[in-house]
Amino acid sequence: MSTRYLGARIPRNEDPRLLTGHGLFVDDVRLPGLAHAAVLRSPHAHARLRRVDVRRAREAPGVLAVYTAADLPASVNGPLPKLIPHPALAHHKTQYALAPEIVRYAGEAIAFVVAETRYAAEDALDLIEVDYEPRPAAAALEAAAAPGAPRVHDDMPSNVCARYTQRVGNVDAAFAAAPHRFAQRLVLDRGTASPIETRGVAAIWDERTGRFDIWDSTQAPIPIRNGLARIFGLLQESVRVVAPDVGGGFGPKVMMFYPEEILVPFAAMRLRRPVKWIEDRREHFVATNQEREQIHDAEIAVDEDGRILGVRTVFLYDAGAYNPYGLIVPIVASTTLPGPYRLPAYHCEFQAVFTNKTSVSPYRGAGRPHGVFVMERLLDRAARELGLDRAEIRRRNLIPPEAFPYDVGLIYQDQAPLRYDSGNYPACLDRALDMIGYKDWPARQRVLRAEGRYAGLGIALYVEGTGIGPYEGARVTVEPSGRVAVATGVGTQGQGHATSFAQLAAEPLGVAPRDVIVHTGDTSLFGWGTGTFASRAATVAGNAVALAAKAVREKAQLVAAGMLEAPAAEIELANGTAFVRGVPAKSVPLGDVALAANPLRFAMPAEWDGPGLEAIRYFAPPQGTFANGVHACIVEIDVETGELRFHRYAVVHDCGRVINPTILEGQIHGGVAQGVGGAFFEQLVYDEQAQPLSTTFMDYLLPTAADLPAIEVDHLETPSPLNALGVKGAGEAGVIPVPAVLAQAIDDALAPLGIRVAAMPLNPSRLYDLISDARRSA
Amino acid sequence: MKLDGTNSLPAPVDTVWKTINDPEALRRCTPGLKELKATGPDSYQATLSIGIAAVKGTYAGTLKITDKQPNKHYKIVLEGTGGAGFMKGEGTVDLEPQGDGTLLRWAGDIQVGGLIAGVGQRMLGGVGKMLIGQFFKCLEQQFGASSPAEGASPSRGQGGR
Repeated sequence: MSTRYLGARIPRNEDPRLLTGHGLFVDDVRLPGLAHAAVLRSPHAHARLRRVDVRRAREAPGVLAVYTAADLPASVNGPLPKLIPHPALAHHKTQYALAPEIVRYAGEAIAFVVAETRYAAEDALDLIEVDYEPRPAAAALEAAAAPGAPRVHDDMPSNVCARYTQRVGNVDAAFAAAPHRFAQRLVLDRGTASPIETRGVAAIWDERTGRFDIWDSTQAPIPIRNGLARIFGLLQESVRVVAPDVGGGFGPKVMMFYPEEILVPFAAMRLRRPVKWIEDRREHFVATNQEREQIHDAEIAVDEDGRILGVRTVFLYDAGAYNPYGLIVPIVASTTLPGPYRLPAYHCEFQAVFTNKTSVSPYRGAGRPHGVFVMERLLDRAARELGLDRAEIRRRNLIPPEAFPYDVGLIYQDQAPLRYDSGNYPACLDRALDMIGYKDWPARQRVLRAEGRYAGLGIALYVEGTGIGPYEGARVTVEPSGRVAVATGVGTQGQGHATSFAQLAAEPLGVAPRDVIVHTGDTSLFGWGTGTFASRAATVAGNAVALAAKAVREKAQLVAAGMLEAPAAEIELANGTAFVRGVPAKSVPLGDVALAANPLRFAMPAEWDGPGLEAIRYFAPPQGTFANGVHACIVEIDVETGELRFHRYAVVHDCGRVINPTILEGQIHGGVAQGVGGAFFEQLVYDEQAQPLSTTFMDYLLPTAADLPAIEVDHLETPSPLNALGVKGAGEAGVIPVPAVLAQAIDDALAPLGIRVAAMPLNPSRLYDLISDARRSA
Repeated sequence: MKLDGTNSLPAPVDTVWKTINDPEALRRCTPGLKELKATGPDSYQATLSIGIAAVKGTYAGTLKITDKQPNKHYKIVLEGTGGAGFMKGEGTVDLEPQGDGTLLRWAGDIQVGGLIAGVGQRMLGGVGKMLIGQFFKCLEQQFGASSPAEGASPSRGQGGR
């Protein structure tokens, strides 16, 4: 009988290679005659360039070229593509590969040096003389939104680039009639994704064939290829972009384009030399997109029993200096806010605001942590004010399992109506409460308090929009060796696609997953697709792989039917063979079927519809799927130092059918780690002139393994009705509710001091300040 | 970043005034000053080499002295840029007699950007205080010969954000 691979804990196909140092990251690309690039970046957050003099740099030893905006042809140095437009986006601004006149954030690229070594290139940067005329900077979000603030873009009357409102129900009436209303200001500050591998690009131009080979640490190699072909006037097939092994993406690597992605190929073509640029860590802190900064003024209306009558939030979103990604992040924030709860009335309204800071684009969570933080904080407040149990107020407001599909009444980030496909929210909540020992908590907390210890429990719920369109595709091929090749357009940044996609192809073809070789992120192997983002690879590309494998299976049955002299419907595939059902002795290796499917002579049966055991299929979902989950944790705080220690961290997660629990748990673990970083350690600090002050890991604290809890994970499986596999995405689940759950746990731990967390991230020092303030005013 | 402080100098006001207007004395006492070239009255081109935390850099810029009220007050405006970023500063110096000596009050507002802001920012207050301390210590030594150590008090700067 055939082995089940779907849902199995299969070790990752990619690990032996990666763990023995055989990965290929962009910096591992070594080409004969390779030249190295470095970028001159503005030290000012806002300035006019009066003069850029590169003469001395050009004469420096080892320097091959120095480019400024004036040296680039218009085709290369126009405004970079505006990726995601939106009707509400009144001002859509993108930067240039090299700033022609004005720099709008500290770190914006001004000149590009190519030299024999990186050392020589960096030395030459020091020889470039730039005469800056500094301009006042828009730094803090709220001040930047105010009238009269220094303007980031001269042609705008203010820094507000969009105002957007969505409403459900009669919000004003709901609030007017409500017996209880609670308002709250809630703030999340800036952070950065900090992948272990920074960005990097290497390019070689072949003059004889007129072809580019480009290695790019990107999450979206195909759009990069398409864009470069356009910019350089080449056929798409003449540009090969490879996203090789990528050491973490998390969203910021899905920009099309960062300046270096154009400048490196441009220099390689001009100089007829391969060129490589690797971002250093300090550059990463200013030159790679950031996220998270939002200020919400939110209010909840509830009845006497804690049932939600209405919610509204009016918030500011910091777009940074440019907004290539449009309004995705604030739209995701405002549409994630309702979560698993019934909101009969909801008003969300935001202003997107330019500041003289690094641009913002989605980072793992992409607005979801903000929405969940606001909703969960409001429920915590309502529960406290009404004297209700915090789990109970949540249970009373949950969307019941029989209500699916459930229309939230909003338009989601994919411009489709926000409609939850499936889920069982009460079951998830109950399971999480069991896991964390919610019932016994009050008694345990009393014991700890009697010992003078400050421990608290938090629970937070969320719904995660995943698996949005437009489409992805895959090609599945059975080779004469019996091995199976899978190629898809989505790149891989550590998610284990070489295993989960292998499982999806292995199942219908009856081969072992280790015999399925998966290629992702090489445009020469598969040229259609959009990229890896929004927790969509498993759902969208995964279903394409499954559909293609199913088509190959049918073809294999057809070809094997002729070989085994049995009807195609009676051909089974298992253990790398095709055999007649019930007569396993009558079998032929799958590789032989592949060989037979590609005849050298004689007529080929018309019903084969072409040679080979190969198929390409696309999956284009009309809307996303909605995963959900509950996080619960117990923390203890040292009130003398502000340090926080986890006792327990439990995650109950439902992303439909699970393809590989090991990989899924890895996603959750990594997500929780990043969530804890964003809630309790990491903060990008800018001064009043928008100078970034935390551009090293000394100042920007990443959580280490020692800071993180052991994470207990349990899965519920409510299949999605929207795709044949029944899967939903899981890439961001670990991050989303962490600020919310930690805020509640901290409140609970410090309840004797009356502390209420309203701004994240905290860190030991900020928490210590809160504790000291509370003690002083006590 | 704002810094301020006071120093008691063992010399009369007019001597102090002369010294703090003397390019030679400024050159001698300003830490890291490599070059000070007069470009006009009270206006100089300066090359400064300083290290803040791990960031060592050379800054080329201008130094101007304005708002002069002899024996009482001046304002100093400094601008410099280099590979490690830029610095901009404005400071005031006020003198008043204090016994036989002079009480000098100084206040400054320094803004830095680029690498020194991103990497050296936490050190900036301490380094700024240290450099200013060095400056006044050197000034005191200029007066040292004419006025015995008895009246000299160690420089006291107080800074912070």
